[in-house]
Amino acid sequence: MTFEWSIIVESLPSLIEGAKLSWYIAITGIVGGLVLGTVAGLMRIAGTRAVGGRTYGFSLFLSRISQLVAFGYIELIRGTPIIVQAMFIYFALPLLIEVITGLRGVRFDAVTAAIITIMINAGAYMAEIVRGAVQSVNKGLVEAGMAMGISRLQLIASVISPIAFRRAIPPLGNQFIISLKDTSLFIVIGVGELTRQGQEIMASNFRALEIWSAVAICYLIMTSALALTLRFIEKRMRKI
Amino acid sequence: MKPIIEFRKVSKSFGETEVLHDISLTIVENEVVVLVGPSGSGKSTLLRCINGLEMVTSGDLVVNQIHLPRQKRSVREIRKEVGMVFQLFYLFPHMTALENVAFGPKKVRGFSRREANHIAQDLLDKVGLGDRGHHLPSELSGGQQQRVAIARALAVKPKVMLFDEPTSALDPELREEVLNVMTLVAQEGMTMMVVSHEMSFAKKAGTRLLFMDDGRIDEDGDPAELLLNPQTERLQNFLRHVGY
Repeated sequence: MTFEWSIIVESLPSLIEGAKLSWYIAITGIVGGLVLGTVAGLMRIAGTRAVGGRTYGFSLFLSRISQLVAFGYIELIRGTPIIVQAMFIYFALPLLIEVITGLRGVRFDAVTAAIITIMINAGAYMAEIVRGAVQSVNKGLVEAGMAMGISRLQLIASVISPIAFRRAIPPLGNQFIISLKDTSLFIVIGVGELTRQGQEIMASNFRALEIWSAVAICYLIMTSALALTLRFIEKRMRKI
Repeated sequence: MKPIIEFRKVSKSFGETEVLHDISLTIVENEVVVLVGPSGSGKSTLLRCINGLEMVTSGDLVVNQIHLPRQKRSVREIRKEVGMVFQLFYLFPHMTALENVAFGPKKVRGFSRREANHIAQDLLDKVGLGDRGHHLPSELSGGQQQRVAIARALAVKPKVMLFDEPTSALDPELREEVLNVMTLVAQEGMTMMVVSHEMSFAKKAGTRLLFMDDGRIDEDGDPAELLLNPQTERLQNFLRHVGY
């Protein structure tokens, strides 16, 4: 048994195809998850001191509802394995839609299901990151903003977000990398991503050592690219 | 003399603990009120009720003709007219000194960026930091930060300024520069409420001294007279404690 470099060279085109798809699913899912997570994270603490003080009357009711919805979403996603979520979205969701609305044949293709899975999964974890970062902003700074008479939205946009964002970058980077690696699970719904490509090549030539080494290095390159981008963003921001 | 802040039988509780008992107090325009008292006596809470950072539990509080807590929703209107300076400055750490001061005119008063920067530069000049505009708060000394914070509050063009222990986090030599700016603001006729233990400021710039103890206002009078001749034993003890 020797390490055959030629095997890697031969399989590289398919592996790169798989890596491209993994990257596409991860990035689309992460961007969607970031939006979802920011909204859910802010909903989770709507109407509290951390985002500009107590609310009254109808807006108090609204903020309680928001908190409850966000809480339910986060706990549901964090409490179930991502592989089950992927299976549910791909196989069970069309059936659920049929049961509820009577519409038959609503189906997502595997890649769409994969993107949605990453989005809602990463979104739940990012919601907690956003909540933590916002709550870590000094209460005095929030009060200083409030005391000037700016609106809640201005306070969140101009004071809380810029400070919270800096704090959120390291844990967000963590989540980005986890989500990228989670795309390997979509092998179970038949997405031709990197891990599946590796598996298929392996099944035809049985060169486990070469193929899995190459697959691992492909993931490492992609996660490094994410980490370096985030470090660049962090460095470019004003030190505070 | 127009009343601008009126406490009418105001009480404030945090949970079970009542920290302000039945306060009645009228502040008229151009008064410079210095609030003293032992820690935990309710000075800061009294101040924070005025701009709605704390909501009063009972009674009526009228600030610039707006009633709290009946008109809770108008609390922003009050805050635009009531500037506040905090013990720990709380400058926005991601903005330069100039951006901090320009923030209010831009976001609260709707000035353009250029006009807001102009207002900010003028105010920085006034507090003696005209050449520090481009510095981040972390690059300034405590005294400089507090002077920027005063400029930031003034930039919104408030009718009243609240100071919550503005010098107690500063070294003695930095206090002077902050007190000088506050004296300047007082001399320009600003209505001020100052929680402070700086008796020299009370005597020099204050027009009224309130002594609070245990959620009540125990003494209320002319600073020079009260300091010379404190009526209650509590105030006499207190003055001894702060080394006056």
